[in-house]
Formats: sequence, C-alpha cells, structure tokens
Amino acid sequence: MFLVSSLLAGILFGVSTYLILQGSFVRILFGFILIANAANLVFLAMIGDPRGRAAPVLAANEGLPMTDPLPQALILTAIVIGFAVSAYFLFLLYRIFLDWKTTDAVDLFKKSKPTDV
Amino acid sequence: MNTPQTSIIFSRVALVVFFIANVVAIYLLLRGHNYPGGGFIAGVATAVSIILLSFVSGVETLHRFFRFDPIRIATVGLLIAVIAGCLPLFLGLPYLTTFNYKWYDVPVIGELYLGTPLLFDVGVYMVVVGVVVKTVFILMTSTFNLTEVMKEEASLYASPLEEPIEEHPVVGSDVFEKEAAAEAARKNLNR
Amino acid sequence: MQVIFPLLIPLLTAILGLLAIRSSAGRRLFFAASAGGQLLFSLWLLASVFSSGSQVMYLGGWSAPYGIVLVADPIAAIMVVLVCLTAFSCILYGFQETSIRNEHPLRLPLIQFLVLGLNLSFLTGDLFNLFVAFEVMLLASYALLTLEADDWDVRQAFPYLAINLFGSAFLIALCAFAYGLFGTLNFAHIAVRAQEMSGEPLLVAFGMLAMLVFGIKAGLFPLYYWLPNAYPIMPIALAALFGGMLTKVGVYVLLRLFGTILPHDMDLLYVVLAWLSAATMFFGVLGAASRPYIRGILSFHILSQVGFMMLAITFMTPFAFAAAILYMAHNIIVKSGLFLVGGAVMVLNRTDKLENTGNLWVRTPVLGVGFLLLALSLAGIPPLSGFWGKYMIIVAGFTAGEYVLVAIAIVTGLLTLFSMLKIWMGSFWQSKESVPVVTSDRRWIPMTVIVGGLTVISLIIGLLPEFFIQMAMTAAEGLLDKDAYIRLVLGDLP
Repeated sequence: MFLVSSLLAGILFGVSTYLILQGSFVRILFGFILIANAANLVFLAMIGDPRGRAAPVLAANEGLPMTDPLPQALILTAIVIGFAVSAYFLFLLYRIFLDWKTTDAVDLFKKSKPTDV
Repeated sequence: MNTPQTSIIFSRVALVVFFIANVVAIYLLLRGHNYPGGGFIAGVATAVSIILLSFVSGVETLHRFFRFDPIRIATVGLLIAVIAGCLPLFLGLPYLTTFNYKWYDVPVIGELYLGTPLLFDVGVYMVVVGVVVKTVFILMTSTFNLTEVMKEEASLYASPLEEPIEEHPVVGSDVFEKEAAAEAARKNLNR
Repeated sequence: MQVIFPLLIPLLTAILGLLAIRSSAGRRLFFAASAGGQLLFSLWLLASVFSSGSQVMYLGGWSAPYGIVLVADPIAAIMVVLVCLTAFSCILYGFQETSIRNEHPLRLPLIQFLVLGLNLSFLTGDLFNLFVAFEVMLLASYALLTLEADDWDVRQAFPYLAINLFGSAFLIALCAFAYGLFGTLNFAHIAVRAQEMSGEPLLVAFGMLAMLVFGIKAGLFPLYYWLPNAYPIMPIALAALFGGMLTKVGVYVLLRLFGTILPHDMDLLYVVLAWLSAATMFFGVLGAASRPYIRGILSFHILSQVGFMMLAITFMTPFAFAAAILYMAHNIIVKSGLFLVGGAVMVLNRTDKLENTGNLWVRTPVLGVGFLLLALSLAGIPPLSGFWGKYMIIVAGFTAGEYVLVAIAIVTGLLTLFSMLKIWMGSFWQSKESVPVVTSDRRWIPMTVIVGGLTVISLIIGLLPEFFIQMAMTAAEGLLDKDAYIRLVLGDLP
C-alpha cells in the first residue's frame, strides 16, 4: 500500500510539474491544484495502511482496526488552505486575462512597462 | 442583467433542495464535535445551496435579498470563532480550552450536549459560507457580463495549442462553421 | 499567558476594523493605535522573557507532544518585537504616502493579518502550525501585492504566487515526511527523535527538503528571481514591510531547524548551504548594482543580506548564530528605513529612477544624513549597526577556517557600498538643473521623521553594541541548547 501511494504521489508531482511549466493559464492553474493534492497524498501515504490497525486505546468498537486520525485532520486543514489559495489564483489569472487579453504566461513578459515620467 | 432562463422543473426542485441541503448542513454542524461533520463541511453545504438558488433567480436578486456583502458573514463568523477561543483566557486558562456541559433530561430533545466547540464551529460555518458565496458570486457576475464578448474573443480564452474549453461552440463562430463543414465533407465521402 | 496576545491583538484589530469602523480617518486612528499598542506589548513580552525565562502556552490545555504549543523563547520574542516595530513604522509611513481618499479600505486589515501570520510563525512550536502561519502570511501578502497594483504591474504577482504555491506544496510534503520519519510534528519532540536517529541519511534528505522549502521563502540563490520584480510594484510602505520581514521568516526557520531541531552533525547540509548563501550574496549584490531604480536596488540587496545570515547559520557555533541574529535585527530595521527613504525620494523627485533624481542633499540635508547613516550601516562601516553583525560573521568564518567564503563576504560588502554610493550620488549628491525638487509637497517632512526614528534605533544598536550582542548571544545559546528547549516544551516527559 505504501509503495502504491508513493508511486501515485510521485506521478502526480511529475504531472503537475509538467502542467505548471506550460504556458497556458488553465494548465498552470490545474497544475497547482494537482500539486496541492499530490502533497496531501504524501501525507495520506504516511498513515501506512489505509485499512488501519488495531488501536492501542479501548473504544466502543473494540477490536476493529483504526487509522491514524491526525494526518486526516492535517490534510483537511491543508485542503481548506489550498482551496483559498486556488480561489485567489483563479481570480488573479482572471484579472490578468481581463487586463492583458491573453491566456499565455509567455506573452505577459514580452512587453516591458513604459517607464514613468 | 437578465435572470438566467431556467426550466420550471429546475427552479421548483432547486427550492426544495435548498431546504433539504440546509437541514443536512445544520445536522452536520451539530454533530461535528464528536462525529464526522463540522463547521467547514456544513458551510460548504449551505454555500452550495445558496449557489443553487442563484442559478434559479440570478445573482442580483439574491444580492437584493441579502442586502449586504457576504464577506461580512465571514467576518462576523471569524469574530465568533475568536471569541469562542478567548473565553477561557478570562479564567486564566490557555487559549481554546473547551467547556462542555451535558443536560440529561431536556424536554422534547432528551439529551443536550453543548459547549464552546460548537460556538467555534458556528464561526467556521459562517466564514466558509461567506467566503464561498462571495467568491462564486464575483465570478458569476463577471462571466455573465462577458457572454456577449465571447463571440468575438472566444479565441482568447484558450491558447492556440489547446482546444476551446466550451463544449458547445457559440452559434455563428468559426468553430461551429468548421465543424459543420467537416461534417458535410464526411457525409460526402460516405456517399 | 502573554504568548497569545501578539496573535490575538492583530486578529481582533483586523476583524473589528473590518466590521465596526466606517470612516477612513477612524480606521487610520484605530489601526495606528493598535499597532503602537502591539509594539509596547511585544517589548513587554521581550522584557519578561529575558527577565523571567521563556514562556510556553499549551493551547486548549493539551499537553505538549499531543496538542498545539506556542513558545516564546528569546529569539522568538526578539523577532516579534521587530515585526511590531516594522509594522508600526510602515503603517504610519503609509498614512503619509497615500492620501486618505486613495487608501484601499482593506490595506490596514490585511497588514494586521500579515502581522498575525508573521507572529504565529515565530511563536509556533510545531511544524504544521508553521505551515498554517506561512499560509496566513502569504495569503495576506498576495492580497497586499495586488491590492493597489495597476494593469502593468499585476502580472508580477504571477511569478510570486507561482513560486510560493510551489513552496507551500513542498512544505506540506515536508510536514508529511516529518510525520513519517519522527511520528510527531512538535519541534521539541522531533528534536528528541532526531537525536536518536542522528547520522541516518534520511535526516539529510529531510534537511535538504527543508532547505529547498525555506530557501524559496528566504530567496536563496537559484530560487530568488521572483523577489526583486515583485516587491517594487507595491506602495513603498508595504514594500518596506515585505522587504524587512518576509524573507527573514525563512532565515528564522532555518536557524530554528538547524539549531534546535536537527542534530548538529549534518556537515553535507552545511557545506551546500554555505556555498548557496555565498552565491546568493554575490549575485544579489551584482543584481543590485545593475538596477537603475532605487526600489530595484534595495530589493536585490534583500537577497544579498539573506545570504550573509545563511552563511552565519552554517558555522553552527553560538557566536555565529548570535552574529546571524544581530545582523538580522539590524537588517530588518535598516532595510525598512532605506525603503522608506526611497519613498521620500519618490515624493520629492516624483520618480525613483536614478537618472531623473538629484539635488536632494542641497534641498533636504536631513533626509540625506538619514540615508547616509542607513546606507553606510548596511554596507558595514565601523561604528554603525551593520558593522557588528558583519564583523562577527567574518570572525566566525575565520574561526571555522572558511577563508574563501569570508573573502566572498568581504567582496560583497564592498559591492554593497558601491551600490549604496550609486543611490547616494544619483539622488542626493549630484546637482542636476533639469530635476525639480518638490519640497512644497509637505509629505516628505513626516516621512523624514519616521526614517529618522529608524535611523536612531540603528544608531543605538551601533553605538551600544555590548547590550545587543549580549542579547543576541542569549538568544543564540537558547537556540542551540536543545535540551533546554525540550525540557521547556515537553517538561520531564522523555
């Protein structure tokens, strides 16, 4: 299980890096959303087996396997933060699109600002 | 801006779903302390239901209904959450220390379990509702106004390397004509 | 109990400022009063940390390795004071720079959120909270960066955002690795576990990843291109706050990580970091020498000085750490002051392009004196504050036998002097017939007063070095003394 999730995280990191290095805004946005998910998956992989193990504390459902809840709580936090940042990024790209009428990152830096008076 | 044209089935169903979604949201909010659920997910449920309403009645109608910026809900929610954390400071306890109390024989409800974590969750709930609604409303208003522009500037939405994002090409645009021409050519070939 | 207030006061200020205050003048008054109060409060925290020992708060009453913990040890208290000082002077300066009608109503609340994120990242005692603090700080900084940017400048936010999103993803991955390696995220608990694992190659890999993440935040050599383009697009008051504080968070975390958390035997990491920081300081100062704008020059200088601090970290002795802390404190004050001088030049000459500025020494000698003291201090001329930090770093370098690195540091110091003299010649000393000096614009007088205040603080550090070096030594010993930190946070648990 650990091997599978690490492989998946690696592939996601690779794909998202490829997407980020493209010129198009949409692909860059998708790349960043994907890389946040890849990082979260790394966290999830650290639990080990997602089916869980016997818990060291006695609870109502005694004997049933439990997973480590801490990484899940942390991932939830990371997802919320990632959501906020993605929303901001989407708005920034949208504003750049409205100002520059382009969706290509390369076009942005072709012209230099006319120097101030 | 005109209200978006929707079918009567959709608008009726959306109203019903709005109430169901909010009941679920409150359920999630209340059970959040000890079971899966909580302020964030409840907030998302409510926000989605409000967005659904905005599909029916349009963003401006909802704005008239709310009469204030949704971001103020978020700010009030943040204040509530911070205050919930601050309460124990007055007793000399660390920030975020929780107080809970359980009543065993409340009429009608039975058992009632309340505490400062619930107050905190309500704060989170309001923050999420406010922020999500605000974000989506801004994007919706800006894209609604842009639909007229899109015919001329459709090519700007996608870089030359990739296909247009819209599945349904605008009638009269080049894409549509090209596809029609290709279709006609294919028919000719088949014949 | 005092630990929580550097976080609560900015947060409540921002919320109340957003909710309750309608008039612009009232908002300004409220936020300025709050920032002043925060400064006084942080000084009180500093005094009590130095007189009666470090403070710990276990949030929610959960004991240390299980819950969230806030730690105010000497270095954290010093950094909090510096944050409050910079924020206070930049807020006051912003009132002069932007007229009350042009000020964006969200600017002041966002500055408070930025201060919240900065304070939390200094006070936090666990790795994941550090990530949260970074995100609070970065979200506020994204918003401030684009709040008042025009159509041309808004594109510069794109690389800034991109590199920081990338860094944040790796920071989550770093937390994940820490959790997988050590089974905990608490700094003190990680320190215990890491000492047991001392010498394992996985620790070096962890350190490398940490260096990448915090190197991005601090602007380390190959990862700095976003910084000098992004900072100049902001209003000067904000650029001063960003330039003073934001990169230093990365330096602080590396100090904490290498000093307190990881074992002290990772020579490979120190060598890599030393050469990267040498490259950072050298290329940073070369970039500064090439820029024609005051703001551009100063933005590149941030990188160069980050290189100095990083270099000091790699020597891993209390003396070198004290040098890094002293240099960081000096640099935060002086760098903010220099940015603010740049703003005054922009008011007086209507531009900060060096070709089109001049005549300021004749017309406004007070501002000239302020600039000269700050600039020479930045270059490290003897009796001024920059000299002591730089001198200590170089002494530490000689003690460690790293002569090449020390030579690079000295050359960098000379080039710093050169580029500071470039501003001095271009804006102050040269008399140009065609350049107008708009002294009728009265904004420059209060601006000069604020610059003067920062200059006086820098002079005090320079002229009474013993007190401050002693303070930095205490902080450095606190950073390097793992056992004391572990006992402070975990009690007698291990």
